[in-house]
Amino acid sequence: MTSKCLYGPLALLCVLPGAVSAQSMSPMRGEIMSFSNVFAVRVYPANPYKQRIKISVRVYDQDFYPVEDARVSPSEFMLGGDASRPVLVVVPFNGTTERKVRICTESIPFPNDQTQIRAQICGKFLGQRRS
Amino acid sequence: MKGLLPGLALLGLAASSSISLAATQGVIFNGSVASVCVLTVGSNGTMTVSPNLQSLSSHNSGGTAGTANLATTGGVTLSVDSAVTGVTTPAADSGTIAWTPTYAVSGAHNFPEGGASHALAGPGTSVVTVNLAGAKTGSDTFVAGNYQATVTVRCEP
Repeated sequence: MTSKCLYGPLALLCVLPGAVSAQSMSPMRGEIMSFSNVFAVRVYPANPYKQRIKISVRVYDQDFYPVEDARVSPSEFMLGGDASRPVLVVVPFNGTTERKVRICTESIPFPNDQTQIRAQICGKFLGQRRS
Repeated sequence: MKGLLPGLALLGLAASSSISLAATQGVIFNGSVASVCVLTVGSNGTMTVSPNLQSLSSHNSGGTAGTANLATTGGVTLSVDSAVTGVTTPAADSGTIAWTPTYAVSGAHNFPEGGASHALAGPGTSVVTVNLAGAKTGSDTFVAGNYQATVTVRCEP
């Protein structure tokens, strides 16, 4: 599903589909139009486990290199079982008219095992700048 | 009695007309299901060393694969990062280790063990079995101590 949002100079947030319990992250696709030099996405990571886990939200480019200038709030947090919470991601255009990013929700692996598994759910988002 | 019958007939007519005036209206429900992917780590894996001490793998005797449960509405791609992260080795091991993560999928989606990404077109729940193998070459061998590495299982549209 694709969410389309329009952001004005005051960075007004659009309403994205509501998060559903036991969903790892929603939405998983989106196109955002912005009239400023940044675009913002609100994602909803969810914890499908019964216990609290530590979740990290990171922003990558198309080649999975970290987008260092993206701001994620909050980027790491504890989330209760079957719960979700909104996370705001703000990405600058860096002088371009459009920018594609992946926003990924990552679980922090359980400690003390030899082969740890990190579950990563990524969404693809396209920011387009309008003048 | 004669006067009563027309009255009853009128009453019946009024009742039937009130029934015919009761309108029905359908209430429409719309629903939209987005692409959803839920990955739940079931268990992490353990690696054991081979008799020649050059392989540390979950495939070796006594080793166990890690598992993750996958639930999706379809339209997503599943992959495993070829590079592992969070590698820790004993201080005495200064050699190079070539790590190879692989995975297999069984359940609603079925893919044999390998490292390539797979498109999951249809919905359903599956089990992702993750294996990791570390290899040394030449005269280099694994040493006593604790090794650890993290495999990233990714689901994206």
